Amino acid sequence: MKKECVAMLLAGGQGSRLKALTSKVAKPAVPFGGKYRIIDFPLSNCVNSGIDTVGVLTQYQPLELNGYIGNGQPWDLDRSDGGVHILPPYVKEGDKGTWYKGTANAIYQNIGFISLYDPDYVLILSGDHIYKMDYEQMLEHHKAMNAACTISVMEVPMEEAPRFGIMNVDQDDMIYEFEEKPKKPKSNLASMGIYIFNWKQLREYLIADEADEKSANDFGKNIIPAMLANNERMAAYRFSGYWKDVGTIDSLWDANMDMLSVHSGIDPYDTEWPIFARTPTRPPHFTGPDAVVNHSLMTGGCVVDGEVENSVLFHSVTVEKGAKVRYSILMPGATVKEGADVEYAIVAENAIIGAGAQVGAPPAADADPEEWGIAVVAEGIKVGDNAVVPAKAMVTRNVKGGAAK
Amino acid sequence: MTNKLHGIIFAYRSNPQLRELSQPRNTCSIPYGGRYRVVDFMLSNMVNAGISDVGLIVHANYQSLLDHVGSGKDWDLSRKHGGLRILPPFGYADKQREGDYRGRMDALAGVYSYLERIRQDYVVLAGGDVAANLDLDDVFEQHLRTGADITAVCTPVPRGDARSSDYFTVREDGVIADVSVHPVSPMGCESLEVYIMSKDLLMSLVEHCIAHNIPSFSQGVLLDMGSRLKLVSYTFQGYAARLQSVAGYYARSMELLDPAVRADLFNPLRPVKTKDMSNPSTYYGPGSKSKNSLVADGCIIEGEVENSILFRGVTVEKGAKVQNCILMQGSVIHQGAVLKYAITDKNVQVNAGRMLMGHETYPLAIAKNAVV
Repeated sequence: MKKECVAMLLAGGQGSRLKALTSKVAKPAVPFGGKYRIIDFPLSNCVNSGIDTVGVLTQYQPLELNGYIGNGQPWDLDRSDGGVHILPPYVKEGDKGTWYKGTANAIYQNIGFISLYDPDYVLILSGDHIYKMDYEQMLEHHKAMNAACTISVMEVPMEEAPRFGIMNVDQDDMIYEFEEKPKKPKSNLASMGIYIFNWKQLREYLIADEADEKSANDFGKNIIPAMLANNERMAAYRFSGYWKDVGTIDSLWDANMDMLSVHSGIDPYDTEWPIFARTPTRPPHFTGPDAVVNHSLMTGGCVVDGEVENSVLFHSVTVEKGAKVRYSILMPGATVKEGADVEYAIVAENAIIGAGAQVGAPPAADADPEEWGIAVVAEGIKVGDNAVVPAKAMVTRNVKGGAAK
Repeated sequence: MTNKLHGIIFAYRSNPQLRELSQPRNTCSIPYGGRYRVVDFMLSNMVNAGISDVGLIVHANYQSLLDHVGSGKDWDLSRKHGGLRILPPFGYADKQREGDYRGRMDALAGVYSYLERIRQDYVVLAGGDVAANLDLDDVFEQHLRTGADITAVCTPVPRGDARSSDYFTVREDGVIADVSVHPVSPMGCESLEVYIMSKDLLMSLVEHCIAHNIPSFSQGVLLDMGSRLKLVSYTFQGYAARLQSVAGYYARSMELLDPAVRADLFNPLRPVKTKDMSNPSTYYGPGSKSKNSLVADGCIIEGEVENSILFRGVTVEKGAKVQNCILMQGSVIHQGAVLKYAITDKNVQVNAGRMLMGHETYPLAIAKNAVV
């Protein structure tokens, strides 16, 4: 059946800057904010915006992501007409077909899927940002401006602008120039990597781009510049809410800490714009007789009898008596044993921090910012009793007890 | 073992001794254990034993139960074939009978046409008001092994109210020698009112009871026919809570603060499933305290909580103190209020500075949606 707008969610990236956290899962499947995974944010935004047809393009380590999305039921995307579809690259007639070469190529390879719904518009999303956004309003803006393409932008501090793709706009917020990481930015409107295209036009640009052998088949590098060069109407859609890229260990940690300010930033308690997630049924969490819990998030199956402060705990986490957890993120099933000390750290799924061990350290006032950082213990790793894991360490092998790393 | 057993859950009882708690709902949909309805336990037991067809017998006051179970998808019981069937008293329409079911045989007679269409050879009958993690697969295996006509599950640790419970005198070989129905004080093993028998036997027992106008299973089957049938007990060693009165509800809830009870009831190998509400995590504010408490998701806790059970979406504001309480879904305890030995039903608001105190033996139950 015809749909006005189909969303295509690019979820094939490795997210290599998240290092050990994405060695087994694609970035969009990385746990976030106590109950969620990164992909829950764009997916929930789609549903809340009235978009019921979503293609999720996967490529890197898709197993966990596929299982997580499943039939789309947690997001009410288990539809007989539309719904969520996982779209991996596939072999075509005559052994043709390749991996997704770039963001534009990934959409090009799924022209057939999009055409099934004969949409007027296509919304392109990525699975690496934390934000709440009403795509319907963005689509209204796109229609009102009679644009071929609308790109959502947000103002960033001028001194940070050189890190972003910057849109230069006229008085009507129509884009006349796009500069990728400009040294001398002319504006501070950064692209958020969210695009709405008129499908008929995009389809032609995708086919032309594919025919160009020199193209990197990327939206930012090729499609957008080509459309600008052809004087297409390109609108900027200003967004001013909470938006965070979680592409690095530090920014992921930072965004998780933002979740502790429960009624600013992303408000997960806001019933008008809920964030949905697939979560296993666990009994309520238990705070023991010796528990001390402050300014923290906690969820089902956790058992805490130690001290937890300024931290985000996912489901089924255990913090034993005498253990201290501060400014840290404990992913599902992580265990912190008696007397262990976890500070400024990310402990991934099912990792075990042995009794008396010390993981991470607070930033000293005179510390070199290059030297200090968040410590990471990868999935399933055992840190032995009394072991020491210094700040900024990335632990991907079991650590023997008692010895300093 | 797969698909030889059919589940029937009796969900029509409203126990008047549960006072305020059973006003808006029947006993099966009483919230229990922080995020569950008590019926979740028996539904999950059935699903965990591979049962794919479950009939839920309801009579009155079942809106809350319908809201909770929905299509049964949270228990994987939303199936093309079989799955969950809600059974309102349609069988009575042509018999022009009115009033509540007088007992389980009465209820089974009410859904007689459903029973006829059961496609499994065996049936497990159970009350929806028992919280226990019961391995029904094991009960069924014993039933087949012993060649019993009826296998009845009982617990050696009586926690129920004797006047509303049945008790078995069990011989050494497991055969039930005597049954006491609603005695003055506990006599032997307490029945959990979970029975396995063949479909054929069930049908003939229902016919017999209809013909003799016997509404009660305990009376009509266990007492009257007991000598002609081989009744074998299955002694359940785990934790079992039956919710029969406000004080009993309070005591059974508080037992959940014991890690051993939780480990048994929430055995991860046989998970208890419930309706998914997509609540966010619970947030503990700066300066909050939470000790020896079971807390579900979606709460905002900025005050002090001790020896308590908090359901989903409860708010405890700064300076509020909650001790030895059960706060159901959506309760809000405003600044400086103090609650001890209280049970607040769904969406109760306790305004700033109020002090409410019950006692362990007579906890204060506050009805749904009340503002104090």
